[in-house]
Amino acid sequence: MSSLFELLFKYRPLVFEQGDFTFAAPGNVRVMVLVAALLAIGAIGTYALVRGRSTPTERGVMAGLRVGLVGLVVFALLQPTLVVSTVVPQQNFLGVLIDDSRSMALADADGSPRSDFVTTQLSAGEGTLVDALSERFVLRYFRFSDVARRVGSPAELGYAGPRTDLATALDAARQELSGVPLSGLVVVTDGADTGDRPITEALVPLQAGRIPVFTVGLGEEVIRPDIEVGRVELPRAILAGSTVLVDVMVTQHGMGRSSVPLIVEDDRRILSEESIELGPDGEPVVARVSFQLEEPGPHRVRFRIPPQEGERVDRNNAREVLVEVRGEREKILYFEGEPRFEVKFTRRAVEEDENLQLVVLQRTADSKFLRLAVSDSTELQYGFPTSREELYRYRALVLGSVEASHFTFDQLAMIADFVSERGGGLLFLGGRDAFAEGGWAGTPVEAVMPVVLDQPTGGADGFFSEVSVGPTPAGLAHPTVQLDAPIEDVADRWSALPPLTIVNRLTRTKPGATTLLTGASPDLTPDQVVLAFQRYGRGKAAALTVQDSWLWQMHADVPVEDQSHEAFWQQMLRWLVDGVPTPVAATVARERVDPSSSVRISAAIADSTYIEVNDASVTARVTTPTGAIEEIPLGWTVERDGDYAAELRPVEEGDYEVEIIAERDGVPMGSSRTYFRAGPGDDEFFGAGRRTAFLERIATETGGRSYTPATVASLPEDIAVTGAGVTLVEERDLWDMPALFLLILLLMGAEWGFRRIRGLV
Amino acid sequence: MTRLLRAGLVTGLSLTLVSAEPSAVRGTDAAASEGVGELAGSAPRSGAPAETTRPVSRAADFERPGRHAFYWTRGAYSDGGGGWGWGRRNAWATDYPKSDIQFVTVLQRLVRLDVFQEENAVRLDDPILRHFPVLYMVEVGYMDLGDSEVEALRGFLDSGGFLIVDDFWGAREWAVFEDNITRVLPDKPIVDLPLEHPVFSVFYDIDEVKQVPARGRGVRGRPTTQCRGCEATVRGIFDDDGRLMVIINWNTDLGDAWEWAEDPYYPLEYSTYAYQMGANMIVYAMSH
Repeated sequence: MSSLFELLFKYRPLVFEQGDFTFAAPGNVRVMVLVAALLAIGAIGTYALVRGRSTPTERGVMAGLRVGLVGLVVFALLQPTLVVSTVVPQQNFLGVLIDDSRSMALADADGSPRSDFVTTQLSAGEGTLVDALSERFVLRYFRFSDVARRVGSPAELGYAGPRTDLATALDAARQELSGVPLSGLVVVTDGADTGDRPITEALVPLQAGRIPVFTVGLGEEVIRPDIEVGRVELPRAILAGSTVLVDVMVTQHGMGRSSVPLIVEDDRRILSEESIELGPDGEPVVARVSFQLEEPGPHRVRFRIPPQEGERVDRNNAREVLVEVRGEREKILYFEGEPRFEVKFTRRAVEEDENLQLVVLQRTADSKFLRLAVSDSTELQYGFPTSREELYRYRALVLGSVEASHFTFDQLAMIADFVSERGGGLLFLGGRDAFAEGGWAGTPVEAVMPVVLDQPTGGADGFFSEVSVGPTPAGLAHPTVQLDAPIEDVADRWSALPPLTIVNRLTRTKPGATTLLTGASPDLTPDQVVLAFQRYGRGKAAALTVQDSWLWQMHADVPVEDQSHEAFWQQMLRWLVDGVPTPVAATVARERVDPSSSVRISAAIADSTYIEVNDASVTARVTTPTGAIEEIPLGWTVERDGDYAAELRPVEEGDYEVEIIAERDGVPMGSSRTYFRAGPGDDEFFGAGRRTAFLERIATETGGRSYTPATVASLPEDIAVTGAGVTLVEERDLWDMPALFLLILLLMGAEWGFRRIRGLV
Repeated sequence: MTRLLRAGLVTGLSLTLVSAEPSAVRGTDAAASEGVGELAGSAPRSGAPAETTRPVSRAADFERPGRHAFYWTRGAYSDGGGGWGWGRRNAWATDYPKSDIQFVTVLQRLVRLDVFQEENAVRLDDPILRHFPVLYMVEVGYMDLGDSEVEALRGFLDSGGFLIVDDFWGAREWAVFEDNITRVLPDKPIVDLPLEHPVFSVFYDIDEVKQVPARGRGVRGRPTTQCRGCEATVRGIFDDDGRLMVIINWNTDLGDAWEWAEDPYYPLEYSTYAYQMGANMIVYAMSH
């Protein structure tokens, strides 16, 4: 299409886009137009005066054609011209950025790798792209993958880079060429960007510097036949023995709707294996898998589909996620306002769980408390904690049937802060003194609750009803309601459990809250919200609105050996403490790091009341794969309170352990561990098809253009008219456009033909 | 003589309470319901108890269980006339219901507890028993459990239920109880509970096991015991995880103290101990 345009209009559309239109004829244009008008009037007059056998319509058509012809001739005589700014040959630099990542070695359908384009077009030789470019520009080559570096020629590329970081590459080339007249940057890549930074960060300075980027997209947009395992989200740390529920996205192209096995394994054993049905071509399907990790320490969990026959790329069939399994005993405070069987049965449900310490504070009479499972004789000796330091020692809080007026206002604010600032988990239980019935409406804690408190119902006796509890679709996907059953049996297990009772009528959740369990009864419309949760600040809050979950253990319909009650409470409390921050928290920017690149180690440091501190002494004790220990000081980043960071460049391949140790004024504040692996990863093989839209966006936002190998021939000419740098103004004639002459001939022929048809010759 | 008087009183009271008809549960003419309160005259050792009218849970009649946090529940079991030759009708109902009603009334004052303020007798093999995780049984020296009762009580205890046994005396009654409870919990030893056990300190600090006498005993220097050489003992049975699931008050009669606490002639020392022990057992059973 573009070449046809060029044939008719002499120049390609880009020249018209870039140029300014003007007339180059000497003299006054207005005079010329006036002369043209007089000629046109004369032509019309001729037809008006010499009528012959013609009708007025015929004369009108012929006059119109004649006027058009006169107009075109006059237009040509005016010498229409395009004024374009073109770069001065050999006075400007052009940065050529070539993707050096491993995805460039992938073979296309014709069997040749993407890097073939570099070999054939960017190597010196007559008629190549680089030949055409070097006629006009001084070329500077850059190779890029995870980092960008100047190279002498494309022959130095090895296509072994672990990542494609386009943003970093554009930044590096721009900075490197900032002191020379730069016409633009040419990026030769498949566009499969795997960098951490958003591309916008690199585009903004290019826009400001008016540096256009020309992209050359390599490879096929869709690789087929192929199966790809999508990104897998897992918490970085879980409690030993917790059930992990993961949604794995699998996409196929050209494989047909067959079933394939999905295997979940760690370094020690297969954790789960199931068969999944692939979806239609290009449409992802979600496979839900659940598994447990028992042994404390770092686990590298791998989700993989064995390579299938005919697959073009099999290295995108597996995802690996690093999970730290915590072996600690997590402390949870359960405050109950009166003796209730929930205390007894909840304690029994979790007593065999070595990772949960359920500390119970139960009010047995006014100002009299029973303390159970406390660590020492002083713990909770004065009842519910009165200071943040005391309360924040717990990672989660369970509030049973206790009226809001039992607490001071400071304690109520502290409970809310426990969730929002400390990041703890809070669970509200149903009961006669819970929710609205307990006077919680209007307190600082009400905002934390995931349910909306309406006015208490039921009159003097209070509300009371029996409900059958069942999971919502969101519940079926949530770890708290799995009952330790196979995924396909969860709904049946719930329907087999006996009904429970409620004394708090709760039917609405707060915006953003998620309902996991509902309670149905023939007498109740709408259903009762039985279990719901919401994020609140740094933490999360859940409401379990039934008052006798112990019936799932005691009821005559529940076999003695049934473990539903135990499983529910263990999973509930484990979920409540999962992800709860510690005063010292360590993170690494990437789980897998290329040995040649550095990794950022970060630490968030807070005191015992979870207020960030900036004057701590923070050290990272790094244990290398061979057991060597290196200590690296972390400095406060200044960007955020309590945020410390340092860069580490791993030299060995293998697993690294990073222990962050913080102290303040010589007093230990705590420590935290995190892990990463140094070694090449398979990031480059995921989403490895050409990302045309992404490349077009880079070009469009910077004033450049996007090409494929089929259209790249016009690149040198395009850069010449659109590029920046040292330019000169050039006038290009348009009067001799073939289209103009064709149009004149067309009008003349039309008039002659019209006369012949009408018999006016 | 006292025992005979008490048996007569209890029988009269219990006859008003054990009808299967809800309307006859309370406040009904005893004469009208005469005979309906009897348990199976001789509960067989094998097979289900005879199909005769049994007490049903008041909670089931007046309301659905669950409205209150706690129901003081008395276990109604098969008894008497069997192979031991000491048959006795409605032994389960001794001191019933006055003892139960007075106990829950006082319990509500002592413990911050949402208590159902009525008596609540339940047959052991009634599935509704599982709604009441604390069970009180008296005069277990006369029990003669049928197989269905054995199964039901075992299921109750294995699921997490807590059994309080009271008011039985002497070696013979112990032997009867032991025989029955061994059928329920075979291979589970019965052990003495030391005073260091949390049940003696969970609410009140109890530093001595007292022999709580029946009404008329223990006053003005009279002996508290009902049998020669009988010493008050608190024993227990633990589950496989070391959790106390049965507490046995032997050679003592807490129920009589609860029943007659308002009697000016009943020694305050013993009624106080009985209520303290009762509160402790409830708080313990609801939290451990």
